[in-house]
Amino acid sequence: MREITLKIGRPTPLTAIATEPKGFDPSKPAVLILNSGVMHHIGTCRISVRIARELAKSGFLALRFDFSGIGDSEPRRGTASFAESSSAEITEVMNYLEQKKGIKKFIVYGLCSGADASYEIAKKDPRIVGMVQIDAYCYPNWQSKLIHYAPRILKLDVWLRFIKRILGTPQPARDEEQIDAENIEMPSYIREFPAREEIAKGLQGIIDSNIHIYNIFTGGMLQTFNHSKQYAENFSDVDFKDRLKVDFYKELDHIITSPEYQQKIPFDICLWVKMVSDKSSHI
Amino acid sequence: MNPLFFGPSSHPLYGVFHPATGSIQKKEGVLLCPPFGQEYMRSHRAFRQLALLLSKKGYAVMRFDYRGTGDSSGDIEEINIDEWLDNIKTAAEELKETAFVEKIHVIGLRLGAILASSASFNIEIDKLVLWDSLRSGLAYDEELQVEMKKEGDDAAFNHIDTNGTLHFNGFPLVKSVRDDLQKLDLLNSPPQAEKILQVVSKETSCSRAIDQAWSSKPNYTYAHAPAPGNWNYVDDFGGILLPQPVIQSIVNWIDNS
Repeated sequence: MREITLKIGRPTPLTAIATEPKGFDPSKPAVLILNSGVMHHIGTCRISVRIARELAKSGFLALRFDFSGIGDSEPRRGTASFAESSSAEITEVMNYLEQKKGIKKFIVYGLCSGADASYEIAKKDPRIVGMVQIDAYCYPNWQSKLIHYAPRILKLDVWLRFIKRILGTPQPARDEEQIDAENIEMPSYIREFPAREEIAKGLQGIIDSNIHIYNIFTGGMLQTFNHSKQYAENFSDVDFKDRLKVDFYKELDHIITSPEYQQKIPFDICLWVKMVSDKSSHI
Repeated sequence: MNPLFFGPSSHPLYGVFHPATGSIQKKEGVLLCPPFGQEYMRSHRAFRQLALLLSKKGYAVMRFDYRGTGDSSGDIEEINIDEWLDNIKTAAEELKETAFVEKIHVIGLRLGAILASSASFNIEIDKLVLWDSLRSGLAYDEELQVEMKKEGDDAAFNHIDTNGTLHFNGFPLVKSVRDDLQKLDLLNSPPQAEKILQVVSKETSCSRAIDQAWSSKPNYTYAHAPAPGNWNYVDDFGGILLPQPVIQSIVNWIDNS
């Protein structure tokens, strides 16, 4: 395995790290590892580095890159939305790898906003054969509300907090961190979940394009997603065929601080990528 | 902004080189030594901004990741502190060779400040900036343990395991590294540099202790630039991600002192 830096695109290139396996095979899909929010390309708790190196050990090229304006990529001019610019930049990276390395199939991976970007490109680009998402779009339903609220009904402190909120009782501020807004100059990504019907339609299109989906949900948004069957319930109108795998780890946080899961998730993704690679080898 | 791998091919380090872009090229290089763990994640943008501003002032700048961290080779479980100190030396040499500069300034943040201070015995440093530094490796370890207690059940995976590895917010510090860190103490072994700046976003007992110990030194300067400075907390504005007053204070001192 070796790692090299790449600068992709002009005039303002995107910074990327390619993790290349020994005995690189361009017929296998390459895995593109996307940013999560404004976090740079090593990923939360270095998970993107672990995933890339695990994949390379199994013979897959993995490429971690920063979208423009994030991490080590300089900002580009323009007024495109994140959905538009991220898709355009992923396409640019795929074009580069296709031209330089002869790779024609890709799997996209992302956590949080990276999951959203994966979904957007999977809808559009026929070179995508798989998509791994951590904490993808999902929607509370009556089952998740029951699971979330039922244990709270008998808790006194929950009711006290609720009453305080209704009465508008001011909450103490963390004075040490009160800051001037003028000191802040950050790119931001406000995550909004589109209407469920829109996502259902998009997912059906993705599945019908023979793209496999691996969704991992953490316990980082339990008010929204809190049981393993919820994804299937959310999208019961989508025929996923045999192309969907869902794992739910209630005890895990959104930024994957658990040492155990920092090992497990790259390993599981790697196994799944091998499966997708085998299934897509005839394409 | 040029990303690169450098150092020994068996254990390459990742860095980003920012060539001098100002109208006046200073023929001086600035090396940035990052903190560790979530603090490293949170400081990435601030370091990039600092590097860009310094490069516009005519300095060649290098950011880099220690072995076992960021994009550099290896796993965190394999490293030791001596190796990280060697990494700083390697990065300084790379900066000198890449930018054709002789004079090197070093900026270290938090744990990076302690490491930069220790590395100053092996590298000739002209200006050394200690940003939100701790007074010792032991103080750093103790601070992490206090934070662990504060976060309690909100951070279920924070713990010290049976091997003595401290797991804090997703990053492990193995026992041998924690032991090595206890040997690093700014007050017992003050850094060697032509000029030293201690800059703090918030005054603490630690910053005051360092200031008190060094205030009579002719080459020492202290600056308080109020800004978000709790590296273990991100407010709703993301203030810690880009503490402009400190960044500006550092740039001014490097350029004008």
